[in-house]
Amino acid sequence: MDLVQQHTWGWFIAIYLYLGGLGGATLALGILGELRFNKSKWFGIGTSLLGLAILSFGLIWLVLDLLNPLRFLLAFWVKGIAHSWIARGMVIIMGAYIFGLVYAVAAFFEWTTFKKWMGYAAMFCGFGVTTYTGLLLNANVGIPFWHTPALPVLFTVSAFSTGCAMIMWVLAGKNDHESEHFFHAVEGFDIFLISLELLIIFAYFDFARLGNAAVMKSAHLLLANPLFTIGFISLGLVAPLILEAYASMKENSKGLAAFASALVLIGGFLLRYLIVWAGVFQYPHGLAG
Amino acid sequence: MARYGMVMNVKTCLGCKACMAACSQWNQTPFWAEDGGKWRTRVTELQEGKFPEVKREFFPTICMHCVNPPCHSVCPTGATYINKDGIVLIDYDLCLGCGYCIEACPYDARYEYEKEDLEKDEFYFGEDARHHQVHVDKCTFCVDRLAEGEEPSCAATCVGHARIFGDLDDPKSEVAQLVNSGKAKPLGEYMGAQPKVYYIK
Ligand code: SF4
Ligand code: SF4
Repeated sequence: MDLVQQHTWGWFIAIYLYLGGLGGATLALGILGELRFNKSKWFGIGTSLLGLAILSFGLIWLVLDLLNPLRFLLAFWVKGIAHSWIARGMVIIMGAYIFGLVYAVAAFFEWTTFKKWMGYAAMFCGFGVTTYTGLLLNANVGIPFWHTPALPVLFTVSAFSTGCAMIMWVLAGKNDHESEHFFHAVEGFDIFLISLELLIIFAYFDFARLGNAAVMKSAHLLLANPLFTIGFISLGLVAPLILEAYASMKENSKGLAAFASALVLIGGFLLRYLIVWAGVFQYPHGLAG
Repeated sequence: MARYGMVMNVKTCLGCKACMAACSQWNQTPFWAEDGGKWRTRVTELQEGKFPEVKREFFPTICMHCVNPPCHSVCPTGATYINKDGIVLIDYDLCLGCGYCIEACPYDARYEYEKEDLEKDEFYFGEDARHHQVHVDKCTFCVDRLAEGEEPSCAATCVGHARIFGDLDDPKSEVAQLVNSGKAKPLGEYMGAQPKVYYIK
């Protein structure tokens, strides 16, 4: 077995995966707030557009990473949709754009029923975008650390956690009753998500400890990297978990929760970057010499 | 319609790398690139065993032209396709250069043909340059030569008869006999890509 760390993908793809997840989750959570938590129509319009803007900014990085950026539109070529997660992702992202924008228009004109249906469709696509970022890496069979069904789950959970952080930022300055209510709901949801993320990470490393040389090597690379141990685990997960849990029990603690959210947002990016960085190919012996 | 495959006989490979030279000339692969060049086919040197029982071995590698190729599954544009003879090819006009296939290939068979490489290709081959756009590149079993009734250039040059090329569907061919008898086996079968390049080790 020849173990070789991958070098084809780096920062650009990591930024794309991160912003894709963040944008999709912001879109879904923002619309949820408007539809189910009595947030104003402007909140719904603002967060859905914010989510789409983040997604667009992320796409730029994917395009820049291509050898042939001008051919980007070929990713919509029907041939690939049957089997490629980049092509399928483009369809899901298109769905998020279309339903997200139609939802925003419907919310503006207050077409209540239509808005609701478009909102749910946009939420579904936003959710899809978060999961797809994990499925994209998952398809690479030669990299066992990525080729596990846990990865899409981890990315989905992390994406929603960063989405919660973003929504908390948007809400932090507002003091009306609905905002307070939704802020605390999101805060509680984020505490749940971060705990879940810690559990998945634990399961991931336990899985690595028990076998497969390439997965072990990926795990060792991560554990030896302070960006992972101190940056992601300590400052990106454990610290915000404690801070948010503490803030949730206190009055007037939005500032603290907003600070924790900043940590979550940085942690989310580190996770994408580190997972991409730690991809190790498991080539049959002889191929890499 | 054929089902082309290749058998690599590691036991008879001399490590002369004539195949690498032949391939890089025929297909104009970036032998000029840093860190030892970029190749469609490589011959790696292996040290097996521990001192004083060390054995040196040469290991030829190439795209395995998998039956179920992950590179094809992930390609968003359909640039990577399988032709009627089971050869996995890339349509350069459709390739985005996203690198997804490089990440998906479990046999390290692909590389990026970058802008600098195009310039060097012009420089070395002048009017005969074959690469005119950036793309991802890999072995084609020399489809252009097959169309003329010739073997892939690596197999044609191989001194040690270590590369045996032929139609796996033709029971009389040497490849089919080596594969069917079980003497030659694919690498990394557990990954499920079903390679059509087999090894005698
Ligand atoms: S060896 Fe790699 S590039 Fe060749 S067909 Fe198989 S997966 Fe594709
Ligand atoms: S780099 Fe080209 S051949 Fe490879 S997956 Fe992307 S579009 Fe397909």
